[in-house]
Amino acid sequence: MPERKLSRRQVIAAASILVLLVALLFVPKFRSEYELLNYTRFLILALMAQGWNLIGGYTGYAAFGNVAFFGIGAYTTGLLMISKWAVPFFPAMFCGAILAALVAVVIGLPVLRLKGHYFAIATLGVAEATREIADTWDSVTQGSTGIDLPVRSEGEFFYYSALALVVLGVIATALLVRSKLGYAWVAIREDQDAARMLGINTTPLKVLAFALSAVFAALAGGLTAYQNIHVTPGDFFKLEYTLQMIIATIIGGSGTIFGPVLGAGVYQLLSTYVWTKFIELHPTVLGLIIIFFIIFAPRGLMSLVSEGLKVVRGQKRFRWQGLLANVRAHRVT
Amino acid sequence: MVASGGNGTAEVLLEARQISKRFGGLAALQGIDLKIFRGEILGVIGPNGAGKTTFVNCISGLDKPTSGEILFKGVDITKMPSYAIGRLGLARTFQVVKPLKQLTVRDNVAVGAMFGAKGATRTTAQARAYAEEILERIGLQHRKGHKAAELTLPDLKRLELAKALAMNPELLFLDEVMAGLNQTEIERAMELIRGVNRSGITLFVIEHVMKAIMGISDRVVVLHFGKKIAEGNPQEVIEKPEVVEAYLGERFAKRVRGERKSP
Repeated sequence: MPERKLSRRQVIAAASILVLLVALLFVPKFRSEYELLNYTRFLILALMAQGWNLIGGYTGYAAFGNVAFFGIGAYTTGLLMISKWAVPFFPAMFCGAILAALVAVVIGLPVLRLKGHYFAIATLGVAEATREIADTWDSVTQGSTGIDLPVRSEGEFFYYSALALVVLGVIATALLVRSKLGYAWVAIREDQDAARMLGINTTPLKVLAFALSAVFAALAGGLTAYQNIHVTPGDFFKLEYTLQMIIATIIGGSGTIFGPVLGAGVYQLLSTYVWTKFIELHPTVLGLIIIFFIIFAPRGLMSLVSEGLKVVRGQKRFRWQGLLANVRAHRVT
Repeated sequence: MVASGGNGTAEVLLEARQISKRFGGLAALQGIDLKIFRGEILGVIGPNGAGKTTFVNCISGLDKPTSGEILFKGVDITKMPSYAIGRLGLARTFQVVKPLKQLTVRDNVAVGAMFGAKGATRTTAQARAYAEEILERIGLQHRKGHKAAELTLPDLKRLELAKALAMNPELLFLDEVMAGLNQTEIERAMELIRGVNRSGITLFVIEHVMKAIMGISDRVVVLHFGKKIAEGNPQEVIEKPEVVEAYLGERFAKRVRGERKSP
């Protein structure tokens, strides 16, 4: 009996995901080129957030420098495309992802031995350093002038590429977190000493999480570079990108498979809405909404969704205390 | 089943030679020599701050001794990282419990089954199945779907034991698994520990509950200010004047003597 119930649940879940996916496939048919840009932004943010979720959500390391990998992805993609080999877009983007992963391994090996805040500060420093390199390495990056990529203007191309990468990201995340690796990441997040004592060789597994998160960010960077045509250090090594991926992950639910995608959607919706309604106070209003989320849904929307589903299924009665418990869980007292 | 200490024929499973540990100016452990024989239950007592947990930390690789060496199954593990020691077949529980709070009870135990001594041979599904077996044995199966964050202290202590057992250890260090338990819970814990030992696992048990230590140990070691002040048969050890003075107090020693004579 419980097995049948579970499979029915899985069928419903799979069906709703399929419906959503089909809806997303038809978005370009019903939306203007301009609106499509916002949808693509959402998908690119979702991709970055999925990456951050691996290191920040599952492994529990607050990485504040993932924009470095976004920038590395953007520059590698661009430079390979305009090089004398004229590498096509997709191979160039994957080279960017591989380079970003390698950089993450080199940085991660020393930095992931640091604890909590020190790790956050170190990664912040790394992001600043990569920006400086892009800014001053004139012979390669053309400094602050930046580089120009070949033009490609069909919005659908970018939309569908981003959608494909996000879907692959969801599948990859789902497979990873169900593997031994995923269990090890969560164990590391929950208690590093306990994890080690349970036989987990923590450092290489943390580095792997960091490198995978770099891959996601670099793919997002490559796609954005090709879409924007022009890549400069100022535009691509922005702290804002790191913050957006963290906020999207936390709003959606860190350490959940769909949280980053959901969070990115909500963030993009809010951002677009606020942008059109409050042109001058845009950052302030957006900031207030984020604070609201952090206080009232600290575990993210996915936790509200799963609680809601339990109520719908009749496993639980709806109670306001349940919501308050979510809020209290992250309070000091 | 019971290997009596000092018996020359018993196999030495772990040998600590001259283990010392200094924290700045404080000498937490001063030249401890200790042998653990395969199959025995070795009880360890001593007042707070005697160095019991520090000793376990040094053996299990969580901390490194300042000097001395440790051999486990003949392998020098003194400088080995704790995950490698764990995979070699040495597990421990933590006095201050360390549950993986956001994981379910079953998944907590499954992690041990995935990465312990036999972890490499198991898939995640097999590890989860084995975790359920362990929970059944420990009497925690009714909590398997709960998050560890939701457990009460006695259940958390049991979860510590379950996680360690899932690693298929040959030698298991239990650091005050009975602290905070009531009389009936202690009786059950003692029975559980005896059962674990009967299944072939050698035990090193740190405990303040004297009745439990006396009831289950084949041998007892007494630590005091980082030194080993006594070792041997439980009854003899607790009557030694230096042990009485250091730890038990005269009244307790009298009571134990009285209890032994009365029946």
